Amino acid sequence: MPRRVTEVDPHLDIETYDPSADLMVLNLGPQHPSTHGVFRVKLYLDGEIIVKAVPYAGYLHRGVEKLCEELTFVQIIPVVDKNDYVSPMMNEQAIVMACEAMLEIEVPRRALYLRTIFAELQRVASHLLWLGTFGMDLGGALGGGASLFMYCFRERETILGLFEEVTGCRFHYNTHAVGGNRHDITPKFCRDTKTTIEVIAKRIEEYIQIFSSNRIYRDRTQGVGVLDGDLAVSLGITGPLARASGVDHDLRRDAPYHIYGELDVNVFTESAGDCLARTLVRLQEMCESIRIVREIIDSVPEGPILGIKPGKSPTHIKIESSQRYTCIESPRGELGTYLIGGGSNRGASAYRLKIRSPSLHAVSCIPYVFPGHTVSDAIAILGTLDPIMGEVDR
Amino acid sequence: MTGDEAQRRFVALLQERFGVDEIPAANYPLVDARHHFELARVLKEEFGYRIYAFVVASHYPAAPDAKNENAEVDAEHYEVATGVRCIGAPAHLASWRVRVELDQALPTLFPLFAGADWQEREQYDLVGVRFDGHPDLRRLMMPEDWEGYPLRKDYAIGTACPPWR
Repeated sequence: MPRRVTEVDPHLDIETYDPSADLMVLNLGPQHPSTHGVFRVKLYLDGEIIVKAVPYAGYLHRGVEKLCEELTFVQIIPVVDKNDYVSPMMNEQAIVMACEAMLEIEVPRRALYLRTIFAELQRVASHLLWLGTFGMDLGGALGGGASLFMYCFRERETILGLFEEVTGCRFHYNTHAVGGNRHDITPKFCRDTKTTIEVIAKRIEEYIQIFSSNRIYRDRTQGVGVLDGDLAVSLGITGPLARASGVDHDLRRDAPYHIYGELDVNVFTESAGDCLARTLVRLQEMCESIRIVREIIDSVPEGPILGIKPGKSPTHIKIESSQRYTCIESPRGELGTYLIGGGSNRGASAYRLKIRSPSLHAVSCIPYVFPGHTVSDAIAILGTLDPIMGEVDR
Repeated sequence: MTGDEAQRRFVALLQERFGVDEIPAANYPLVDARHHFELARVLKEEFGYRIYAFVVASHYPAAPDAKNENAEVDAEHYEVATGVRCIGAPAHLASWRVRVELDQALPTLFPLFAGADWQEREQYDLVGVRFDGHPDLRRLMMPEDWEGYPLRKDYAIGTACPPWR
């Protein structure tokens, strides 16, 4: 029986652990397929049970924050795309929102609608990719694993097709600009979106049935990796992870940005805090995102999509030396940008730009949650944390 | 409670109990480093700011006044901004800055917020600011034997790096 996570000491001195125990050190990663990137966890095992887990991040550190001090605000948008490479729309949105808040630019309503539609479609795509790879992590529990992966990619493909229709890119879109959007949508996009989301909504119903009734799946996930709600918020964990632990918090509803204040966003919580709860919360969030898109896709107002005079020079956006923190609700939680203006290129670059990535907070719960579980459970837990290493390490 | 009311309450707290005179309009308030831990504790335990949002350290090199050579030079220092948030609407963010001298260490917030463990390690790793009482102040992103702190202003982007072990 796993111990309660509040009793776990993350900095346990392994020398003081029962000296008669025959401990084994197992190195999980950095290139294990289940780490979804490059991430290393050093596991101390007593028999089959983990007694201590020490995570090592940084294998994908690319110095994005230093790069953002050299490049201008126009140039960094395609760079931050690659942070959370599963939901690039969100990264762009977080950066341009920071610049707009500092410059007090009013973004046209049409652009705000476009951003919301893109963000919610991206949330569905991101959760679908998580669901598919989680099926692979669990392996045999879901009929060989790879079948669920293929099903989820089938749906995700249709969403990437929609984005390609608008931006010309399937992945790193570079569609947000300070003050608005670069690419406008067409009536064909609206028609395609409506048919696509109806298909996906039906499929998600099927997934919910699979996950709530599959006995093997429940055995692998129920009661595994229980994360206490108090510990979660103290670690800075937000988003679906915290909501699965009973924390009723969603920035789209509680601190609305863009047009979320006019929409009724339903927030789903589960109280169990285990891997099953995290699955169910994400599945329900997908349904909610589809509902939001369905609600606003027909009411996109006409008008311009860029609120400022477009500039040809990469230095045309300049920010004074003030400081501001802005944040959005990404598929993984609070994605924030702390921006200090007045940097190089005569103020066209940031003096310091910190990206508050929800994934880094998520993986920091590993020393608390892993102890008491077996290695196969550790893989399941790591899967439900949904860390994106590009965002953890930046 | 709306976000504006929460902000007014936060400003009143800073002015009455932590001796902050000036609340800048386009910036976060500057708090004395001695009050750093106490302010975080009051916010968490008395006002319910339980979500650990962020910690950001930035490095400021010594800035001599170009026009007046006799003016006092602002010494090289760090500035650490911390933010905590309350759960549910209005999800108000309480954020403040602290000036830390180069040879000074800031008390860690780890006893209050478990998330400070990794976040402060990251800032120590990249900027070099030290946190007093931190249980495990190792590098997080860079290799353990890395020399220098990459996000400092005197660390040029083209600095040659040693080969990976």
